[in-house]
Amino acid sequence: MDSKLDMFEDVNTSPSLEGDMSIPGKRTTTATNASGVPDYNTLDEPIRETVLRDIRAVGIKFYHVLYPKEKSSLLRDWDLWGPLVLCTFMATILQGSSDSMSDNGPEFAQVFVIVWIGAAIVTLNSKLLGGNISFFQSVCVLGYCLTPVAISLIVCRVILLSSQTSLAFFLRFVTTTMGFAWATYASFIFLGQSQPPHRKPLAVYPIFLFFFIISWLVLSHN
Amino acid sequence: METPTADDLLQFRDYSGGAPAQINVNSPTHGGSSGGGSIGSIGGGGANAQRQRGDPLADLIYDMTTSAQGFSGGGSPGGSQPQSSPQDGSGGGGARLSFLTIEYYQQFFNVDTYMVLERIANSMIPKRAAGNYLRMNIGENPDLYGPFWITVTLIFSIAISGNIASYLHHANDGYLWHYNFHLVSYAATCIFLYANILPAVLWALFKYSLKPVDAADAIETESASYTPSLLSLMCIYGYSLAIYIPVSILWVINVSLLQWILVITAALLSGTVLIAVLTPALRNSQFSLFLIIGILSAHVVLAAGFLLYFFHNPPDSGLAAGAPAPASPAPPAALKVTEAILTAANGNQSH
Repeated sequence: MDSKLDMFEDVNTSPSLEGDMSIPGKRTTTATNASGVPDYNTLDEPIRETVLRDIRAVGIKFYHVLYPKEKSSLLRDWDLWGPLVLCTFMATILQGSSDSMSDNGPEFAQVFVIVWIGAAIVTLNSKLLGGNISFFQSVCVLGYCLTPVAISLIVCRVILLSSQTSLAFFLRFVTTTMGFAWATYASFIFLGQSQPPHRKPLAVYPIFLFFFIISWLVLSHN
Repeated sequence: METPTADDLLQFRDYSGGAPAQINVNSPTHGGSSGGGSIGSIGGGGANAQRQRGDPLADLIYDMTTSAQGFSGGGSPGGSQPQSSPQDGSGGGGARLSFLTIEYYQQFFNVDTYMVLERIANSMIPKRAAGNYLRMNIGENPDLYGPFWITVTLIFSIAISGNIASYLHHANDGYLWHYNFHLVSYAATCIFLYANILPAVLWALFKYSLKPVDAADAIETESASYTPSLLSLMCIYGYSLAIYIPVSILWVINVSLLQWILVITAALLSGTVLIAVLTPALRNSQFSLFLIIGILSAHVVLAAGFLLYFFHNPPDSGLAAGAPAPASPAPPAALKVTEAILTAANGNQSH
């Protein structure tokens, strides 16, 4: 597995100064620093700029997930910051509240494990099916694609604060379904190309299941 | 006894010295027709020639094995060595892969979409699979994609529908419903145990109760009897759970008669398919009747346990203590029955 990983990372970190993908591409070339043309020096710049640049790179990825048009931009330079933030946020919200004995919701660790192990298993599945993608690229994409689901979780939380009627439930249902469809569609856009055509449904189904389960957790949280 | 012709001698010398593999296949007819003994005494050759000349039956078996290997493209070498098929199951390369590489595991996921759909359909519809399905289809290329994702899907579909059933149960009586995430853990434990332990037990029983067959019988029943590998059994069992996924969604409808009809139908459909597919192996076993009953009853008990534990017994038994007197729908008797059946299921799984 590791040897393959290296191969794909080599492809990614090879100088890719195409211009449109500005921030992550620049960071990569600065990191390699031998082949690219660094227009600034990371040693001299203030810490604030370094941090801001990384944050901006994460933010751009969020934007690409919410507006999934460009196919390969999310794959080129993976990071796991976004998934970590999303996963921690969702696990914090979704964990069973301790104020009542009757809440049988999932623990924090259960949500955390479902997200990370689930993403790892889905990725492993597509690797085993012969997919043409590196492990962390796929985990990164799956993690970032949780963004619509996380947004629907926020909306559900707000709806829950206001009322508990069946109309509220219907609204939550619609929101969660939209988040689920959005997440599945986005990850399909990013990951669908990596599989041979006759196996694409086999690789897409686990992704569907992954987001379905998390959306179920979101919907049934009350 | 006629003397061997020059042709025979030439041929014999040829393969006693060189590589023996291919000539073995057609030489025994020569040896047999020319009254074999003389050739052996003249040549006195290698062990290969001795084995060749033994009796025509052994030669025939050898020929069939080699030709079968040729047909299957280096696949599993037949019923006598079930363990070897995981290693070279998907055939082709022949090079042993280390089990640490991802390529080693890719051979268990060597399926296409239509193949998975076909296997799922074959696991639900009786008489759809061909008679040699176990050997020619599953045995040649057992996959773990279907079993794994079917069990995962089943775990979550049962947990989700169980929660929906409980929600619908409480929808009317204004009681603040909370979902029960622990159903996932229970379902996962139960289903993974069933899908892993039962094939292992069955495989061990097949190995243990193998009928002693002599060579003549082996030839006659070569096409009929076949002892599957552990991987094939796990594959078949995983696919046989597929029918419970739509059934578990239909179990949400809270009509007791419909639920029990679904239990019986699903268990019998997939159970009979299981028996039909495993027939070649069962025929090979000494206590096949016992095994058939065991397989079928384990299947029915699994379905009944699902229904009773996840659907008839909504997870409010724990809530009832803290909540201010909700309507208690599950009488204690039903709980007892559930527990009894679950323990029976566990006993049945571990035999």
